[in-house]
Amino acid sequence: MSSAPAASATAGADYRPPVALRALGAVSTLFGVIAALMILASVLITCHMIFVRGVLGQSTIWQTEAVIYLMIGATLLGLPYVQKLRGHVGVDLLPHMLPSSLRRPLAALVMVATILMVAAMVWYGWEMFHQAWRRGWKSESVWAFPLWITYLSVPLGFGLYLLQLLADLWLAVFGPDTTLPEPHPERSPD
Amino acid sequence: MDPLTLGLLVALATVIVLFSGVSVAVGLLIVATLFLWIFDGSRSLEALPELFYAELNSFALLSIPMFIIMGAAIASTRAGPDLYEALERWLTKVPGGLVVSNLGACALFAAMSGSSPATCAAIGKMGIPEMRRRGYPAEVASGSIAAGGTLGILIPPSVTMIVYGIATETSIGRLFLAGVIPGILLTLLFIAWAIFDTWRCGAASAALVSARYTWRQRFEILPRVLPFLAIIAGVLYALYGGVATPSETAAVGALLCIVAAVLIYRMYSRRDLWIVLRDSTRESVMILFIIGAAGVFSFMLSSLFVTQSVAQWIAALEVNRWVLMAVINVFLLVAGFFLPPVAVILMSAPILLPIITAAGFDPYWFAVIVTINMEIGLITPPVGLNLYVINGIAPDISLRQVLVGSMPFVGCMILAIILMCLFPGLATWLPDAVMGAAL
Repeated sequence: MSSAPAASATAGADYRPPVALRALGAVSTLFGVIAALMILASVLITCHMIFVRGVLGQSTIWQTEAVIYLMIGATLLGLPYVQKLRGHVGVDLLPHMLPSSLRRPLAALVMVATILMVAAMVWYGWEMFHQAWRRGWKSESVWAFPLWITYLSVPLGFGLYLLQLLADLWLAVFGPDTTLPEPHPERSPD
Repeated sequence: MDPLTLGLLVALATVIVLFSGVSVAVGLLIVATLFLWIFDGSRSLEALPELFYAELNSFALLSIPMFIIMGAAIASTRAGPDLYEALERWLTKVPGGLVVSNLGACALFAAMSGSSPATCAAIGKMGIPEMRRRGYPAEVASGSIAAGGTLGILIPPSVTMIVYGIATETSIGRLFLAGVIPGILLTLLFIAWAIFDTWRCGAASAALVSARYTWRQRFEILPRVLPFLAIIAGVLYALYGGVATPSETAAVGALLCIVAAVLIYRMYSRRDLWIVLRDSTRESVMILFIIGAAGVFSFMLSSLFVTQSVAQWIAALEVNRWVLMAVINVFLLVAGFFLPPVAVILMSAPILLPIITAAGFDPYWFAVIVTINMEIGLITPPVGLNLYVINGIAPDISLRQVLVGSMPFVGCMILAIILMCLFPGLATWLPDAVMGAAL
């Protein structure tokens, strides 16, 4: 812990990350809002589907598929925003038990490993999207939805997640101590 | 390499990676990727995003965000405190009435929200200060809420049960039913302990003031509480009446709960609605990310033949099935100490289920056993989520006091597991009676 808590607290409050980082944060939030709206849309579409099938007695064509694509999209596009809110749960027991001299190197190692993993998902996810795009793959249903649209959420979601992780890494290395990730999201007011 | 040795290596690597502090989802992806890369070659990595995508490509999964929205909408209103107050007004004559109404409110709120931390927060915000004001010790006040909150993942609808259903390809409707009687049993055990504890305090209970309410006061609170209970009853009815699938009923339930929150609790402001949506998005994304990653993880396990050989190895040991069950319980309990329920279930279900069914155990009964184990993990250190929630809403009660208060309830849960083993019908009777015998 810092020897001058008051000073570091004010430094944290006054600290403004560089413009690029704030812009990235805003992009993550924007996609968080989009993800939330996609989940809301899937609630409404599912209710619509039940109405059409149950009350009007007609068969439904696109709803089930659309709702699944929306949910997948919301999950992937929501990744950067949840990262920003520190909402991805992990076991932070060992880091807490380590002396602070070892805690930073471990945190750095974990971040780098996370970044490499997410980068691999972006790389292979792009291949998956690109193939569906080039070959014009469509879903095997009456609706025949172009699959590149939903596949795009994989490289896009992981790509934005990667950017948010890089921003966090920058903050962890160059930012003041107080901007370090708070490990217990359930305690934060967010 | 021998698949069993490989399995041991995977287990070791998973423990090390997850304990490093990496997020659970990314940790699972890292372990899966490393093993696929080393033992299956780099070409297998091309399939990573497809495996992840394929795991999420399921209509059944939709019930997770839907039930989470339902819970978040209810949790954002004053429904929790109202429910608590309603029970308090109706249960004044019962010894230890206040603790009893707290636990009852927890059980009912658990049925509405399906989430343990939400239950803890909603009932505890009002219940803990009220109990302390009336002279209950801090340990009893905080412990009963921490324990009562864990009912959220056992009493239907429960997100934990949905995840189990998806991981094991069992019927979610049947799983929900399997949780009903054990949920009530556990609530009664909690209540029995609370009454006994209050009675044991004896002399001190002179300080426990019990309030008096008129019949008018008792009835006037009902209109604010009953609509939500009606929605839950409706959702469960639709589920078992065969009207709709869990995802569909959950979507209707989510919409109705939002509408009820707006109409009854006048939650008009865009900000309030956004908070409901934001919290549900955060939790859904977190869980669905773990589910996608666990899909990749279990693909790795089965493509390296770990799943199959562990099951064969255990079958070849020919140990007594109850010894096996005891060992599995210890494993689940320890895993639950460190990991969130969803992660434990997703990682262990593919390996445990074949073992369980081969030993002649019912998968629905086992779901209840798993869930009670996970409940214990929620109120035990080092990562008992409910302990931190209580710590957040009542910061003046030390974590140690909360822990001392919740320990007797851990005893109740272990007792419930033993009762479930002695009388498996507690879990299997209701699903069989409502939906017919399992295939």
